[in-house]
Amino acid sequence: MVKYTIRRFFEMILTLFLIATATFFLLEAVPGDPLTERANKLPVETRAQLYERYGLDRPMMERYVTQMVNMAQGDFGESFVYAGQTVEGLLHDRLPVSARLGIQQMLLGVTVGLGLGILAATKRGRLPDYLVVGLSVLLISIPHFVLGLLLQKVFAGELRIFPSIGWPSGSQLWFGGWQYTVLPTLTGCFTYVATYSRLLKSSMLDVVNQDYVLTAESKGLSRAQVVRRHILRNSFIPVMTQLPMSVAMCITGSFFIESIFAIPGIGQYFVTSVNNQDLSIVLGLTVFLSLIYIVVLFITDILYALVDPRISMPGSESR
Amino acid sequence: MADCNVAATTAAGAQAELTPDDFRVVGFTQEEANRIDRPTISYWADAWRRLRKNPVAMGALVVLGLLCIMVIVGPYMRGYSLLDMNTADRNLGPSAEYWFGTDSLGRDLFSRVWMGARASVIIALVATAVKLVFGTLYGAIMAHFGGWVDDLMMRFIEVINSLPNLLLVILIMMVLGNNLFALLVALSITAWCNTARQVRGMIKQLKESEYVYAAEVLGASPLRIILKHYVPNMISILILDASTAIPNFIFTEAGLSFLGIGLTSPEISLGVLISMGQQTLDFYPSQLLFPCLILCIIVMAFNLLGDGLRDALDPKLRD
Amino acid sequence: MAESPTILKVRDLRVSYHTYAGEVKAVRGVSFDVERGRAIAIVGESGCGKSVTAKAIMGLIKGPQGEIKQGSEILYNGENILDYTSKQWQAYRGDDCAIIFQDALAALNPTMRVGKQIMENLIAHRHMSKDEARAEAIEMLRRVGIPEPEKRFKQYPHQFSGGMRQRVMIAIAFACDPDLLICDEPTTALDVTIQSQILDIIKDLQREHNTSVIMITHDLGVVANIAQTIAVMYSGVIVERGTSEDIFYRARHPYTWALIESVPRLDLKNKQELASIPGMPPDLLNPPVGCPFSTRCKYCMAICKEKMPAFTDFGNGHTAACWLHHPMAPKVDMPDHDSPTTVAPATGAAPAATDGAPTEKEVSR
Repeated sequence: MVKYTIRRFFEMILTLFLIATATFFLLEAVPGDPLTERANKLPVETRAQLYERYGLDRPMMERYVTQMVNMAQGDFGESFVYAGQTVEGLLHDRLPVSARLGIQQMLLGVTVGLGLGILAATKRGRLPDYLVVGLSVLLISIPHFVLGLLLQKVFAGELRIFPSIGWPSGSQLWFGGWQYTVLPTLTGCFTYVATYSRLLKSSMLDVVNQDYVLTAESKGLSRAQVVRRHILRNSFIPVMTQLPMSVAMCITGSFFIESIFAIPGIGQYFVTSVNNQDLSIVLGLTVFLSLIYIVVLFITDILYALVDPRISMPGSESR
Repeated sequence: MADCNVAATTAAGAQAELTPDDFRVVGFTQEEANRIDRPTISYWADAWRRLRKNPVAMGALVVLGLLCIMVIVGPYMRGYSLLDMNTADRNLGPSAEYWFGTDSLGRDLFSRVWMGARASVIIALVATAVKLVFGTLYGAIMAHFGGWVDDLMMRFIEVINSLPNLLLVILIMMVLGNNLFALLVALSITAWCNTARQVRGMIKQLKESEYVYAAEVLGASPLRIILKHYVPNMISILILDASTAIPNFIFTEAGLSFLGIGLTSPEISLGVLISMGQQTLDFYPSQLLFPCLILCIIVMAFNLLGDGLRDALDPKLRD
Repeated sequence: MAESPTILKVRDLRVSYHTYAGEVKAVRGVSFDVERGRAIAIVGESGCGKSVTAKAIMGLIKGPQGEIKQGSEILYNGENILDYTSKQWQAYRGDDCAIIFQDALAALNPTMRVGKQIMENLIAHRHMSKDEARAEAIEMLRRVGIPEPEKRFKQYPHQFSGGMRQRVMIAIAFACDPDLLICDEPTTALDVTIQSQILDIIKDLQREHNTSVIMITHDLGVVANIAQTIAVMYSGVIVERGTSEDIFYRARHPYTWALIESVPRLDLKNKQELASIPGMPPDLLNPPVGCPFSTRCKYCMAICKEKMPAFTDFGNGHTAACWLHHPMAPKVDMPDHDSPTTVAPATGAAPAATDGAPTEKEVSR
């Protein structure tokens, strides 16, 4: 287990390095120069200064090495567009916002989704099943941004129950200011509701037909005991594989939700940076978001082994 | 054993009319002994039979057929120009003259929505075709060569999959600019990985399976093995892959336009129409409503058909 | 409750499965009794309905595909268990009646420690505390011959060998000292050497607890020294029933003869080819109107294809359903064990079919 973890850790570093490299050269291929617009407004002599400041006067390979070394030391770089705006500063200000939104929508969405999945599987072929299946198909067929706009229009625009844009800040950064978070959280959580209810239901129906469920029933356990002890745990194993996808959904979903509700999070800034061609920020954020994602992939692998005793880690001596 | 005289049977009375001729030994024939009563149904006939019995999937198929017709004739049904402005009829609601109303430049929304749907569907179909062809080739090469080729190619997929999907799509769009070609490249660039993995897994599994081995031992020609075993498995994988890919591509296209990263006006796609509709949402909601509605109907029809296909093509569910 | 000698009476049990192709009549009117403290074996090929019968007795036939037909009765101590409420089923399963499945790896929960799977039973029916149940479960593991039960208690099923897993299944089944035990092919998935160990454990525990056993198997060799009574099933019906002596030495049904011939024997001097039954059992989607074995029976007569034969009673509970025992039928005796397939029918040519293509005894539907 320890050996496996160490190997996976080095693989993670390698993957991250490859992603950073690929992203760097990809962005180098963007036509035009990120500083052109700013530089054009400046007198000629200060332009050279500006280029020097960002190191853009040096050859590409040299900049690549500098960038990699800096990133390895945790310095992700500075914005080409807004002077003084660094990736670290961004993360410091905006990460808590995106993290709260992400955690809230995942907690709510996964809980409700799993609950509905259990309901649909246990009431198979009856009304609750059809309702859940119908709801989940409906929800995965409506894009994030349409749903967000709809909720915003109805609950903020027409009914005025919740504010249409904004996000709690200051002392309310993590708790409080709930009225601002309701609509964005709802918008984000529906995807999870749909995904997890479908997944758990099909997984449970798979498990129900297994022999060990018959064994459990023939022990004289009650239906609830059979479901709780024998069906659920085994059904959760395939559900685990969905975890990295959920985090990916959370990251990319935030692009839409944060831009609809004007939430000052990372996703919104990423989209702004892309539109502004702010390459250094795009590079820094890409590497950072990939880092989160890779770590989640890694955690899922470990969790998987913990839930399913049959999986023995390669290189470990269990058995 | 002579002590066992035949006792009177319970049904003896009813057998009074039996004649000695009834008791002539006829034995049995080989055909009779080996007869299989149950009609053998081919995989595809069985899949089609099960799909046909699924009312939801058939409904989705009918809706898709109608959508197909509308996408072809819809833009010309009303005879309005798709691009020319008409300042007299700006921002009208739905009416007998303009079924879906007009946009802020006085253009007929009905014609434009179907034109946009056409573009979105074509983009999705082309991206799907690219994904399937490239993914199949890549997967087949991996499975065929195995060894270090397989390892290396698999590692490449893993690196691509270590980035949240949409992130990479956005990066590609940023490099190549907001045009149709860039969009197709961006959509296809990550999507093929999944196809390649599945094809590789399927081929590897079949290669090692006992029934293919048996066929080889029995002297079946390679062509026959490919036609009989690989192709049917491959086709069902690809059909399912396509049925989830198409709605995903439609989503992504719309999402990118919404974020201002995808196609932009004067191109017409559902994404472009939705992002235009969003700007006038507060005053003329119908301009957002109709493109969204068509988008959701298309995606839902594909999703429902995909679900039906999954059930129909899963050999585990036979009987 | 008065202790009647019969613990379980199955009367006219009919079970169908509804599939896309139509109704598969898996069990088509089966009746038999299980005596207290004794063992009955139900023998037959795969797909003859024996496992379905076992599941029906355990209440494991599930709708909407599975259906137990109206008029079927399974009387446990005189009560029809088919009328049980779910509460009654819970009390019956595991406590009164237990089951051992064929494939122990599939029948044990892969994510639950083995000990806990035994404890569950004890806690449900004996209302033991966790500690008592743990002690009892470890004791059960020891009783079924698992070494180091304290250590094994904490392991998962995949860490056990096939034979050890089947022992765990036996421990689960005997945990609450059931009155009736159903063994559904308990040794089929095991090596021959392990098979006899497992059977010995079952036999010992059965004697100790005075348990009634229904042994379901396709292997006549397995039942010989366990069961007092044998019922031979074919195509969803019982074709012959009797004591094991009756079945082994005085069988009356051509199918039983064929089954006995197909048991591998070590005492034959010359290298004799193992006899097999040609052809396949009829499809239960569309069972034949006459005797179901008529399509593979070398003694088949015209009447066999038209009418189902009634049971002929040979005394001492030995019955067989075959037209050969009708007064008008030609006289045919059980083929001699040592020279199989030499008995020619009284009239007509011997069919040339017996030398046909290789056919398996085990034909899955």
